[in-house]
Amino acid sequence: MKNMRLYRRRRRGNAVFLTLSVLAAGFGLLWLGLILTSLFYRGFSGLTPATFTEMTPPPGVEGGLLNAIVGSLIMNGLAVLAGTPLGLLAGTYLAEYGRYTRLAFVVRFVNDILLSAPSIVTGLFIYEIIVVKMQSFSAIAGAASLMVIVVPVVVRTTENMLLLVPNGLREAAAALGAPRSAIIRAVTWRAARAGIVTGVLLAIARISGETAPLLFTALNNQFWSTNLYQPMANLPVVIFQFAMSPYEGWHHLAWAGALLITVTVLGLSIIARILESSKRN
Amino acid sequence: MSKVTPTRKRAEAVRRSGYRDVRFRLLTWLASMGVVAIFAGVMAALGIGAWPAIKAFGFPFLYTEIWNPVTDQFGALASIYGTLVTSLIAMVIAVPVGIGIAIFLTEICPRPLRRSIGIAIELLAGIPSIIYGIWGLFVFAPWFQSGLQPWLIDLFSNVPVLQDYLGGAPYGIGIFTAALILSVMVLPFISAVTRDVFETVPTTLKEAAYAMGCTTSEVVWRVTLPFARTGVVGGAMLALGRALGETMAVTFVIGNAHHIQTSLFAPGTTISATIANEFTEAVGPLYLSSLIEMGLILFFITFVVLASAQLMLGALERRAGGLSS
Amino acid sequence: MEGRDKVKIDVKNLSFFYGGTQALKDITLPIYDRKVTAFIGPSGCGKSTLLRVLNRIYELYPNQRAEGEVRLDGEDILHSKQDTNLLRARVGMVFQKPTPFPMTIYDNIAFGIKLYERIPRSELDGRIEHALQRAALWGEVKDKLRESGLSLSGGQQQRLCIARTVATKPEVILLDEPASALDPISTAKIEELIDELVKDYTIAIVTHNMQQASRTSDYTAFMYLGELIEFGNTEKVFTAPTNKRTEQYITGRFG
Repeated sequence: MKNMRLYRRRRRGNAVFLTLSVLAAGFGLLWLGLILTSLFYRGFSGLTPATFTEMTPPPGVEGGLLNAIVGSLIMNGLAVLAGTPLGLLAGTYLAEYGRYTRLAFVVRFVNDILLSAPSIVTGLFIYEIIVVKMQSFSAIAGAASLMVIVVPVVVRTTENMLLLVPNGLREAAAALGAPRSAIIRAVTWRAARAGIVTGVLLAIARISGETAPLLFTALNNQFWSTNLYQPMANLPVVIFQFAMSPYEGWHHLAWAGALLITVTVLGLSIIARILESSKRN
Repeated sequence: MSKVTPTRKRAEAVRRSGYRDVRFRLLTWLASMGVVAIFAGVMAALGIGAWPAIKAFGFPFLYTEIWNPVTDQFGALASIYGTLVTSLIAMVIAVPVGIGIAIFLTEICPRPLRRSIGIAIELLAGIPSIIYGIWGLFVFAPWFQSGLQPWLIDLFSNVPVLQDYLGGAPYGIGIFTAALILSVMVLPFISAVTRDVFETVPTTLKEAAYAMGCTTSEVVWRVTLPFARTGVVGGAMLALGRALGETMAVTFVIGNAHHIQTSLFAPGTTISATIANEFTEAVGPLYLSSLIEMGLILFFITFVVLASAQLMLGALERRAGGLSS
Repeated sequence: MEGRDKVKIDVKNLSFFYGGTQALKDITLPIYDRKVTAFIGPSGCGKSTLLRVLNRIYELYPNQRAEGEVRLDGEDILHSKQDTNLLRARVGMVFQKPTPFPMTIYDNIAFGIKLYERIPRSELDGRIEHALQRAALWGEVKDKLRESGLSLSGGQQQRLCIARTVATKPEVILLDEPASALDPISTAKIEELIDELVKDYTIAIVTHNMQQASRTSDYTAFMYLGELIEFGNTEKVFTAPTNKRTEQYITGRFG
């Protein structure tokens, strides 16, 4: 005879277990909901046309975020322009030339560490090699500190995407007598294009909200400046400074900036996701 | 019949493309050396920057609590303590919840919802850390201070031991708040990795367990989790690495106090929060150097954690590769 | 007949290793000029491996090495300083699974031509049309040359790959089970194509399909466990095999 009491106990255990994991998912979704709700609510109430047309104000004065938005665009742009080719080439080395070598193993390992290393530490590195040498905080230094974050992201996705390209395609190109570099540029890069673009988008998303390394590289600038050798305003540092201040008006602008950053980042992630899934089909 | 191109003409083309080939290969090699150079540069720059402080304070830097810019006396203990404690509490919360989410997504969630809930959880990872910070400071901390925290303090006020750890005044901000926000931040990392390794568990293995009359929880405990153990631990280590180095989410809500208090509700600081708060205002070479030495310590801790995560997940990848072939 | 045919590729004492495992053992055989040579045998017998030595495609991977001699027009391709890319331009290869590149049909073919030749656009157009005609694909694709090669059906993709190979004007074409992933109609088309191509090219084909081997080839090599068991005129191998194993295999008693 089957032991029904034992079975009932097992069923109860199962029910508790299932309830707990539903609660876990609920916990995660609850936080997402809470954060997004207050972000949208406070962000939109802080957002005015002036946000996009006026400079960051002194305390107690109305103003906007124009210089910070432009500064963020400039530094993010420079970081991506410099970091993408480097990451693309390094990822190509790992997937194509060095795939089985000890050197590639080391590079891969180091890259994965950089991928998750605290950005504040890589920011210190740029401070030491650029800010100290130039004796000034600057947009160049800010862009460099963001580039250090872009490179490992692009390396990782490029390698992963190139590894997904079937070897048959490489063999077929080689069988035509194509040299390795022609195979890579004309065939494998092309086959992995959507994935590589996804990687770059994710890298942009990643640096768009990055604050810590900018604190002691680009610093901040209350005024309009496009001089790359001077400190430059940027959204994350403005949000940090305004939010930590005691001034109500600055808080509103901080929320508006936070909303802009989040919408950018989530938008980029969604585009990246769509690209990725369209590639898979 | 088609005429065969003279071999000589082709040989010329080969020579031309040969140079290009070598050049391109060299270029990719240099780029990957660039990655190594960045890594080496980080270590070297931190080491050099930290040297004055290392010389001045030596080993006691690690276990001295004093942090006094006026007298140029610096010790990292309070920051190291805060870093470790916030990350530890964050992991205690995030690991079970993260695994729970992964179980929910792979075993329980109705298929049509699976994708959208999975994406929603991943969005948590997409939200920049500064958003967590500003939200924690303006929304969560005030609510926690006036709502949950007094109740908790009251609840544990007569319980031995716990009254020390969960007592004191309700500040809203503090070690516990920082840890809670950290746990939400790293949650998606754990659930994503766990979910991925759950999917490497062969379906036949799970079916075999169900065929013996196992309940879902028994299948997860006895089959899925043991099979995926290495991956789950690797994912948790990866999340721990993130938590240890996280700056902005913590800086907003930890209170920035350089002494260690028993109560987890008390304000404290972490390595990254100290650097973020004080670096640009640090005057005097020793002050700056001490902050950089803290960066070096942080880099070292995260390196050890991330390297072990890498090794665990790498071993897993090899096993998964072995299975599929 | 054997006496009259000219040897294009001469394989002598060829052994091949994947790391520590020996996949080919002391293979010696000729591949005759402008004839079809078929390689048959159970899977894992080394027939594809042998083909992959003939254009040194195996060198893309580490830990694979060949010993012995492979002479193409008398020149040892395994040991000469000769550039492998140049070798592969002379010895083309078509794979089991169609491998169209992720580009247009036109560019798929132009890619191979442009590797070794700088020719004006009009000539390029002509070469591409000619190659597609040789591969019996022109009629089906002439109005959509600008579409992706991936938009074609499996059989069309395979003929595109053949056209791509033909366009680079190789001397030898290696076919590695070119029809095994295709439906019967496409297979018939590929076989017709082989009959047509052999007038100009030396062809070596690996197949697991005995009828295909007997239909298309002039010579047949039967391989088993990395060894060459029997080689000879196709008719003879199929009607009067000298080796017991060959007979068992072609009559379907194992493999």
